[in-house]
Amino acid sequence: MIEPSLALYGDAFDRVDRHLEELLAATGVRYCLLVDRKGFVLSHKEALWAPRPPALDSVATLVASNAAATAALANMLGERTFSEQIHQGENGTLYVESVGDQALLTLIFDVSVPLGRVKVHTKKTIAQVAAILQELQDAPPMQFSEDFSKGASALLDDLLG
Amino acid sequence: MSTINFAAREINCKIVYYGPGMSGKTTNLKHVFSKVPPHLRGEMVSLATEDERTLFFDFLPLDLGTVQGFKTRFHLYTVPGQVFYNASRKLILRGVDGIVFVADSAPNRLRANAESMRNLRENLAEYGIDVRDVPIVLQVNKRDIEGALPVEMIRAVVDPKKELQLFEATAHTGNGVFETLKSVSRLVLDRLSQNK
Repeated sequence: MIEPSLALYGDAFDRVDRHLEELLAATGVRYCLLVDRKGFVLSHKEALWAPRPPALDSVATLVASNAAATAALANMLGERTFSEQIHQGENGTLYVESVGDQALLTLIFDVSVPLGRVKVHTKKTIAQVAAILQELQDAPPMQFSEDFSKGASALLDDLLG
Repeated sequence: MSTINFAAREINCKIVYYGPGMSGKTTNLKHVFSKVPPHLRGEMVSLATEDERTLFFDFLPLDLGTVQGFKTRFHLYTVPGQVFYNASRKLILRGVDGIVFVADSAPNRLRANAESMRNLRENLAEYGIDVRDVPIVLQVNKRDIEGALPVEMIRAVVDPKKELQLFEATAHTGNGVFETLKSVSRLVLDRLSQNK
């Protein structure tokens, strides 16, 4: 195991979900994603008025890879990390900030949303979410039975022949 | 270990195709993409140079289906094979759950195969991982080319102790592609249920 796994359990998941919901409401962004460092989506929220989001798997993968590359650059330049990334286009902005060493909070929003407001609210959310992820480190690992392996193997046969 | 989103009831596993430049890693993914029903796969993302060499990675999400109430998904990645892209290769190995080592059968690529395997060991070691801690299968690709090296010769330089499951393949025709993927997927899922 190269990266620690993250398993979001019921109550913790609900609390993370709530914080993302609040962040969405407070900032007016379109999409808000919590992504782990491996590039998997842990939680995501979108504004009611937002159009259908892009492929979240791809967004998460590229965000995590970009963050990893940025961190490698930071190390080469003598920094421990660059904790935030901002990509501004003509119509929209992608804002990514680290949630400790485990995850990345990613916000996608229109030019009409002030970046300063996003930053202020995001920092508050990050403190809350980081505390929850910290708690999860002490949670017992998930257990899967032998049946899981058998069931998955049957699906593999169906998919790959 | 795989990322488990208990509340969303999802299990995500990361499989990386590793090997020397032009050994056929991207071709493996392209074949999977072309043959898997669209509702079971996501977009294929390729970050490549103008001459179609992989610059950072290729990425393809694949849905296996629901197992015991958990939506189980594989994320397939390739790494850039060219020697000078090692920083990218190392980053892509983050969080890997299983590896397909794609060796090249071309007669002049024996050394490149050996160096790529050594590079894999070194990159894993830098994350504090022994190569034996990660499920790996060996795919000997390009079996259809003229003068293809004997499989055992390739194995002797990348897997001398014969510890890895080996599959012969010709990725551009699809031969051996699914067998390889199935094998590594099974190893990853077995490990998940053994909770290693």
